[in-house]
Amino acid sequence: MHAIETVGLTKYYGHLSGLAGSLPARLRASASPPIRALESLDIAVRGGEVFGFLGPNGSGKTTTIRLLLGFLHPTAGQGRVLGLDMVRDSVAIRRRLGYLPSGIALYDTLTGEQLLDYLADLSGRPASRRAALCERLELSARTLKRLVRDYSRGMRQKIGIVQALQHDPELAILDEPTEGLDPLMQRAFYEIIDTLKAEGRTIFFSSHVLSEVERVCDRVAIVRSGRLVALEETARLVARRKRNITLRFSGPPPRLEAVSGITNVEQGDGCLTCRLEGNVRPFLAAIADAAVVDLTIEPARLEEAFLEFYDEAPSA
Amino acid sequence: MNAALLRHTWRLQRNRLAIVSIALTVWGFLPPIIYARFGSQFTALVQSGLLPEQFARVGGGDIFSLSGAIALSFIHPIATILTSVFAVGFSAAAVAGERQRGTLELALARPISRRVLYLSLLAASFGFVAISMAALVAGSVSGATFAGVVKELAFGNLPLLWLNSVLLFGAFAAIGLAASVSFDRLAPAFGTALGIVVAMYVLEVLGSLWPAAEFLQPYSLFHYLKARAILNGLAAPFDMFLLSSVIVIAMVWSLAVFPRRDLAAPS
Repeated sequence: MHAIETVGLTKYYGHLSGLAGSLPARLRASASPPIRALESLDIAVRGGEVFGFLGPNGSGKTTTIRLLLGFLHPTAGQGRVLGLDMVRDSVAIRRRLGYLPSGIALYDTLTGEQLLDYLADLSGRPASRRAALCERLELSARTLKRLVRDYSRGMRQKIGIVQALQHDPELAILDEPTEGLDPLMQRAFYEIIDTLKAEGRTIFFSSHVLSEVERVCDRVAIVRSGRLVALEETARLVARRKRNITLRFSGPPPRLEAVSGITNVEQGDGCLTCRLEGNVRPFLAAIADAAVVDLTIEPARLEEAFLEFYDEAPSA
Repeated sequence: MNAALLRHTWRLQRNRLAIVSIALTVWGFLPPIIYARFGSQFTALVQSGLLPEQFARVGGGDIFSLSGAIALSFIHPIATILTSVFAVGFSAAAVAGERQRGTLELALARPISRRVLYLSLLAASFGFVAISMAALVAGSVSGATFAGVVKELAFGNLPLLWLNSVLLFGAFAAIGLAASVSFDRLAPAFGTALGIVVAMYVLEVLGSLWPAAEFLQPYSLFHYLKARAILNGLAAPFDMFLLSSVIVIAMVWSLAVFPRRDLAAPS
């Protein structure tokens, strides 16, 4: 069973529906066109995996999450979360998941402890993971006694993470979870994700910080302008992307233009740069006879693969 | 209804509720004393023609009898403003304010339906209004006791007065909450709820002061709290029926609209 499955999930804002949809054509034409926030999204998140949901601001990430949580109603398509219908069984779904919204807002007049108690009460499940999470995120009992209004941005984010996971949900939907965390706390958060994954929990992880997606996610979906442009294993995506090569040589330059997988060849004074995609052997064979002084192959970064998708994918 | 949400709402509002209740008690304390001290002098003034007769019936209240003085304390702008802290302020902010701040989704990400959330907030609004009105009644009784005119008070009619006033301000709370679930931002929700209360108040007072505008009074919900008549044993069941009907209509609207609305990310 998939933890999350969507078929043709579509969301338009500002479209005319119901009675308004039956207005005369003249009136309908005068209405502003709908905003296509999400267009026919098909994804399937496997149980027990960490699934990265990537895209720039306004690409449809948060709209997808809000549809899964029942905050928005789909214009078309359907979705199932933990085997339950996203629209009809919304309350039953929310009983089994944890959610961290992007830029979380908290009740400033409560202490951290009161806030976590309240949200655990609403969840209807014991906060069995709270102590461990607080320890990992260095939220001391003294800190939790302070009012939320006195918390820094990073501390608010830590409280956000704890409230999303303290009741040990089967599925955690985390919208930009490391926002505002310092590098040490980001590492602590990744360890929490590793622990949850090891215990078979499913994590749906929305982010535009590509390095963290690369670090923690098993698979990645990339959305652009409300459309899915890629859904791949993170490792395959990394393997597929191009690498930057810098070659220093003495004597005549190697001829690389016709070599398989090589693009963007640029030649300077005793220096050549290019990009390599796929198998490295043809490239190595091509430079075998060249007087190579130095060779640098930059480790592939997910950012570049991501940007390539954005260069290649047609605009919606 | 959700007990955790009710507890949380109580915790957030208890200080405000205490302040409003104390203020209403103090306010309710004063009119019976004014009646006891100056009631006969004002009666003489009206009878002499120096004061217009309309002063004898501002919003159904006056200071020529204990029941009139207590009725005045219920319809007076001070009581209306204090009670509106919850009937308008709390109810209009309950959903739209939380939505604007972004805290609404913390609750709605839990296993709680929008209908349950709404009903819990409505119950909280009614609870706050009920406590506020009880404070006003208590203040009136204390004032009458202090002024030595408590014998003029029919205690048996007080629960009905309390109930009718709870229904009046409960109707405003239900309207405020209906506005709150209908808007994404606090300002239009609050403006709508406050606008309705102010407009109805103006209709009622205008109608009571100016005979030519009397026809406006039935369009005001304030007209359906006749505190003096209730205290004199002349309660009108229709008034409570009408106020209950307004509450039911506001509830039906809210229960139909809120679950169907899209809750986009807070701006």
